[in-house]
Amino acid sequence: MRLPPGVRDWLPQEFAFKQSVEDRVAVVFDRWSYARILTPTFESYESLERGLGEKLMRQTFRFSDPLGEELALRTEMTTPIARVVSTRLRNASLPIRLSYIAPAYRYEEPQLGRMREFTQAGAELIGAAGADADAEALFMAIETLDAVGLSDAQFDINDSAIVDGALVTLRISAAAARSWKEAIAARNLVDLDCFALRDGVRTDHYALLRRLVVTRGTDEVLAIARELAPNPEAQAAIYRLERILARGAQLGFEERIAIDPALLRDLEYYTGFVFEGFLGDLGFSLCGGGRYDALLPRFGYDVPAVGWMVGVERILLALERRRIGERHSREVDVFVVGSDRVAMAERASGRRVRVDVRGLDRTAAIAYARHKAIPRVLIARGDDVEEILLEPDERAPL
Amino acid sequence: MSSLTIALPKGSLYEESAAVLAAIGIGIPSDPGRRLTMTSTDGSAELLLLRPTDVPAYVEFGAADCGIVGKDTLWESERSVSEAVDLEFGACRLVVAARRADGFHEGARYPTFLRVATKFKRMATQYFSERDIPCEIIALHGSVELAPIVGLADVIVDLVATGSTLREHDMVVVDDIARSTARFVLNPVAYRSKYARLSALCDRLKRKQGV
Repeated sequence: MRLPPGVRDWLPQEFAFKQSVEDRVAVVFDRWSYARILTPTFESYESLERGLGEKLMRQTFRFSDPLGEELALRTEMTTPIARVVSTRLRNASLPIRLSYIAPAYRYEEPQLGRMREFTQAGAELIGAAGADADAEALFMAIETLDAVGLSDAQFDINDSAIVDGALVTLRISAAAARSWKEAIAARNLVDLDCFALRDGVRTDHYALLRRLVVTRGTDEVLAIARELAPNPEAQAAIYRLERILARGAQLGFEERIAIDPALLRDLEYYTGFVFEGFLGDLGFSLCGGGRYDALLPRFGYDVPAVGWMVGVERILLALERRRIGERHSREVDVFVVGSDRVAMAERASGRRVRVDVRGLDRTAAIAYARHKAIPRVLIARGDDVEEILLEPDERAPL
Repeated sequence: MSSLTIALPKGSLYEESAAVLAAIGIGIPSDPGRRLTMTSTDGSAELLLLRPTDVPAYVEFGAADCGIVGKDTLWESERSVSEAVDLEFGACRLVVAARRADGFHEGARYPTFLRVATKFKRMATQYFSERDIPCEIIALHGSVELAPIVGLADVIVDLVATGSTLREHDMVVVDDIARSTARFVLNPVAYRSKYARLSALCDRLKRKQGV
């Protein structure tokens, strides 16, 4: 029996490893007081469609039920959460903080770090605008990666208003702006050079834009941005980014956060602040997020929102590459032979109990416990219970 | 500091790639022999010697920080890498070509269902669908110009550098689709984590192009 492409089994050790990472992530979400939420794996396509850009729409698994209603597997969790908040939590006081750890589904070519079923963990802060809400999403992401053992992750932040302002300065028409932004996001300087010629952009302006696109840092980026994007929207964005940097510095994050003006995540989705977290030795980003003020209005609820997510499998990949992580098999504390009552009492006192189902005699029970590295054996004969403790060196290594 | 890893294409682009890198101080042997990896003479870079079509994958997944690859390979690969510098060598054109006798280049109408032989499936599909020309793409791996001669296809979509191959087979260019040159490409994440060195490298390459 073969599995379809892009999905996988999680065998006990692998699953324990995944679970241990998810547990750590869940602790961070809880400490930030983000309540966990879960929505259905599939729902009506019409509802999910409201949050989908062109690319995700092409990657959606769609099917219909016997009555012909069009259904779809969720490709991410933010859209279902926007639906829940704008309907069932409409009367809840704002801001609302929600988190999730759940599988999502995308039809794409399966490859390293990209599966058709994958687990996303993320958090949404709904009903709060401004740099402080943006900073909360960013700092929470940093603390989450720290908590799973990836404390060398770097974070790039940006606000799409800067590039928008720059394109106004360059007098790029609204029609051409999209291809410019796509080339900037892909950092395709070869295309940008062509566009600059084609659209007759002033050479001094273009030189500045080129510098903006290839520069990553803090003060230098902001200086170029101030010069190239003097419109009020961009200046406000620069002020917000400065505020986030300053707050990050107070937490000791100044070496870990930089501004990358070419970071333009999913243009159809994010409306301002965006960020991405990545590791130098992993070729793709680990986590990302940003402000998506236009999503909830599509569900008829006009509130701003900021959120972020991390791919759990990508964390696992990064940890495996660093060979971080303890032994992931759950150990058995005690092996019980001959008494259900004894076993129940052991379980009640919080131990991991394995019960003999094969009628092993004393010698065989001890041999089994040795083989499985179980430190304690309880053998019951009537009311008499014999306890045998195995020293660590008596236990066979696995 | 970990060194930079650069993916280089073996084959037709290799020699000029080596020359370009040498010109900015990253010396490598002009003939790699059968080696798969080597270190530059100044010790600053690890080189991976790959099939040209594998360069985008190595760069996208970060196994290489950057690399040199023809634009024609990027068209078909759908890999997300940053094109930083047009190195301007290895120039060629992607064209629609057909037998001179068929007269397509002089305005003869295509058959109602065109058969197209090509190694460039994506680009060919895009070209004909943008023009609403119904066609069947026949994906081949080499010697595409044979297809119209033996009646396998009506036209071909292929690269031409000097045009001599077409002339030899009495074929002509019907339309130009795109132009390809060698590109210096970057892994988007490496660009950030090794920002200083990679952006300096791009600057040096750019200056060498005299742009």
